[in-house]
Amino acid sequence: MPRFGLLTGGPPGPAAGRCDRVRQVGLHQNSLLPGTGTFNHYDDDKLMKRISCYFSSSISMGRPVNSATAQLTRLVDAEDRFRHSPAELRETQVAALNERFHERKDRIKLLGHRAREAGITEVRDRADMVPLLFPHTAYKSYPESFLTERRWDRLGKWLGTISPYPISPIETSDIADIDDWIARLQAEGHYVSCSSGTTGKSAMLLASSQDMDWSRKDTVNVFSWGSGVRPTRDRRMLGLAPIAAVPKNMIIAQAQLAAFGDPAKERFRLPIPPITVGSLTKMVVLRKKIAEGTARPEELADFERTSAERQETLDKAMIAGAEELIRYRGEKLYISGLWNALYQVARIVRDMGYSAKDFHPDNCIYVGGGLKRAQLPPDYQDFVHQTFNIPANRDFQNYSMQELNSGMPKCQGGDRYHVPPWIVPFILDEAGETLLPQETGEIEGRAAFFDLSLDGRWGGVITGDKISLDFSPCACGGAGASVRNNIVRYADLAGDDKIGCAGTVDAYVRGLS
Amino acid sequence: MTMTEPVVSAPFFLRGELVQDQSVTHRSRDLGVTFATPPIDLDRAVHPRADVPPLLNVALAEIIDFLVETGERIRDPKNAVVQECIERMAATHVLPRAVLAAQVEGAAAYLDKRLLWTVVEQNFPDPRALDEWVPKQDFTGRKSFVRAFAPRLVHVLPGNSPGVAVKSIAQGALVKAVNLFKMSSSDPFTTVAILRTMADIDPDHAIVRSMSAVYWRGGDDAVERVLYRPQYFDKIVAWGGGDAIDNVVKYLGPGFQLVSFDPKTSISMVGREAFTTGETLDIAADRAADDVMVLNQEACVASRFIYVEADHENADRFCERLHARIVAKAAASGDTRPFDLDLREQIDMLRMLDDEFRIWGKTDGKGLVIRSDEPVDFHPINKTANVVRVDALDDAVQFVDVATQTVGFYPAERMPDYRDRLASGGAQRIVRLGEAGPSTIGNPHDAMYPLHRFVHWMAHEDGVAPQ
Repeated sequence: MPRFGLLTGGPPGPAAGRCDRVRQVGLHQNSLLPGTGTFNHYDDDKLMKRISCYFSSSISMGRPVNSATAQLTRLVDAEDRFRHSPAELRETQVAALNERFHERKDRIKLLGHRAREAGITEVRDRADMVPLLFPHTAYKSYPESFLTERRWDRLGKWLGTISPYPISPIETSDIADIDDWIARLQAEGHYVSCSSGTTGKSAMLLASSQDMDWSRKDTVNVFSWGSGVRPTRDRRMLGLAPIAAVPKNMIIAQAQLAAFGDPAKERFRLPIPPITVGSLTKMVVLRKKIAEGTARPEELADFERTSAERQETLDKAMIAGAEELIRYRGEKLYISGLWNALYQVARIVRDMGYSAKDFHPDNCIYVGGGLKRAQLPPDYQDFVHQTFNIPANRDFQNYSMQELNSGMPKCQGGDRYHVPPWIVPFILDEAGETLLPQETGEIEGRAAFFDLSLDGRWGGVITGDKISLDFSPCACGGAGASVRNNIVRYADLAGDDKIGCAGTVDAYVRGLS
Repeated sequence: MTMTEPVVSAPFFLRGELVQDQSVTHRSRDLGVTFATPPIDLDRAVHPRADVPPLLNVALAEIIDFLVETGERIRDPKNAVVQECIERMAATHVLPRAVLAAQVEGAAAYLDKRLLWTVVEQNFPDPRALDEWVPKQDFTGRKSFVRAFAPRLVHVLPGNSPGVAVKSIAQGALVKAVNLFKMSSSDPFTTVAILRTMADIDPDHAIVRSMSAVYWRGGDDAVERVLYRPQYFDKIVAWGGGDAIDNVVKYLGPGFQLVSFDPKTSISMVGREAFTTGETLDIAADRAADDVMVLNQEACVASRFIYVEADHENADRFCERLHARIVAKAAASGDTRPFDLDLREQIDMLRMLDDEFRIWGKTDGKGLVIRSDEPVDFHPINKTANVVRVDALDDAVQFVDVATQTVGFYPAERMPDYRDRLASGGAQRIVRLGEAGPSTIGNPHDAMYPLHRFVHWMAHEDGVAPQ
């Protein structure tokens, strides 16, 4: 087995040149967010300042520059990073997994518990790592009452069980809401992003400033590789996604703007109020009250009214987005959004009488997330591409999730998502307990990953996705592992055949989705 | 299971005839086992409205006799069909073979003459309406005949308890219905095995001709859009969780009604009297464990949350004893299924927050007790009890909701003080602690008299009597 030959030379590690780049981004920081309508009072700027001040004092990974982890993560800027075969990477990846395990086992309480329960003291092969991977649900395993009853100290204690860095107690007596709590943690260097579950619990994903730094770099590299667009700062940026204003999403948006946006042109964002963790969890709190029977009818009516108003604001914002697109149709555009919003805006643009022929031939598009259960016609992607004149080689797709730090971009030649060397993929059985053996070829099962680039939480996560992972070289020329473009969620597969008479009040709750 | 192992065969039963074919394969929900069925012949699954239901003019007494004989045949260890069914089910079901065999045997006990008569008598003020047009006259002299007419029922069976198959067949027969049973992927066998046993007694009997049992994947539009119509069925009798019911609800409308056996959670309430002596504490823990372990906690009557009126020290004494008894029962049943990942994660996390929660046992499927000051926000299952410490049982009433089915109560003397408040909160049944399993024969289920809901109440108006 050839040893992964990166011990000498190679591109500089992620720490090198950081300050320059940060300064560069920081320089444009204040010009990044003009003209966001009436909602620019939201403290994007404040957040960015806090984040940027951590770059200069960024926590070092604390390991030798030639550690296995460093060998893999420093490939973040390498042009040929997707060309290393799984066989070539295996030994280094296992060594890196073992490194991460030893670095973290006494620092992350839950990991220590897992290791003791499974009797694991060393990671000698990938299978040893399986009992140490956290299910994605670990990040929402906090008792809901901590949130609904605003017990910030308890929530902080919970967070401490999954954090590698001590979370020192913060003064909680004057904390008004969860957004406030998250801001306080952020001031201490703990960045909490939140999944956008609206009816169930939200996952709370902790990250460090180093992770923010990584996302900033990775997102640009991933987009550039997958879309073929060079970061030459020559595009007008139009953001059409109602997305959660959590640190990771904001960092990514900022980094994309800094890399691809023409500094002379204003970025467009949907004129809607920011979707904060607080606004997301408000629904969870109300849902719990409904289930318990303590929500009053007036509270429900108020919720219905607010929802209707929000929808109206969103509908208006979509029209504003369509008008903006039409206004700048002659310019080279960078359009970002989620499929549902993009489809709606495309529909409006078509209804206003414009289509591909009216738009610049080198437009590009960044789509985040899946369909999120939106009901769209089968040709929705083509419809969006054809409306905005997106060439086939600019069709960017990325497989990632809030739980990971890095993305897996889709290649242009093989319709596959490519796994970078610092993400170790695992295919488990459906229950997520056993590693399915894989040396070569394609195998299907539950996806799990270890993202070696993660610093502020444990890198190993068992996802809710069913994927097909291929160890054979891809048609695009990449020799690394790749994921076939047929990803589904197990929850969507199993949902309709579960019949048992033992159930919970969830089945009786209506109206919040 | 690997690809080389043989696929388990699951035949269908269509209006009296066994259909054996293995051309369609499916995967079971819980264990991912592959089983093979025939394709569904939709025409044969439906009884034409032009023909009156075959059982309409068969006397109730004869139907009951036939059911009783069926029960005897199910219990007969020489019944190869039932034995084979238990073997197959052990491959697709989460419960161990011995528990399943006991379930099937226990369910057959429902096919008892006195029991079935009692069920009918409790459901109908005048059971004659099942056999004949019962004459009526109101105070104005207006005359009519009323009949509990044989309905057309499609039953969506649950996957957690094979016993429901026996009960559903019996109830369908008692109301003389034409029945289509939609089996679940965790048990696509029991219903057909019982119907085959009936066909062995008399293949041409009207009961046998009134019964069909098939499998399709719940939510499969291609089948459900066709069958769920008032032209074919009067009622859909659905057991199930939120998704299962949501699937069905979209097909409801005039002439096609839902009789829903909703998903439920059951709880226990243990008063301070349990701590009077070591002996009373043992009794309470023992009975609470009985209620937790009904069908190894797969059933809706199985207790999940136990509200205990005690301080922390006493609550912990109770938990320790409760845990020991759950572990003993689990070990005796041979059932040590692993926890699913999600539940394990939630419980491990509570263990980390150990100043607020205390946990007895491991997440290894051998029995586990969690003590907390509020109910946990996940669904305790797989031999998991959540003991919630309260200062007074009055404080526990707030946790009763519309999903609460059975409340096991200790001591019995305090039950009348609580029953109105429990009913008002949404509960449907209060029992002495330890008696969640048995119930008074013919009592309401899910706050209704089901057979009364099943039938098609038909009136024949016959004018006014001469003055």
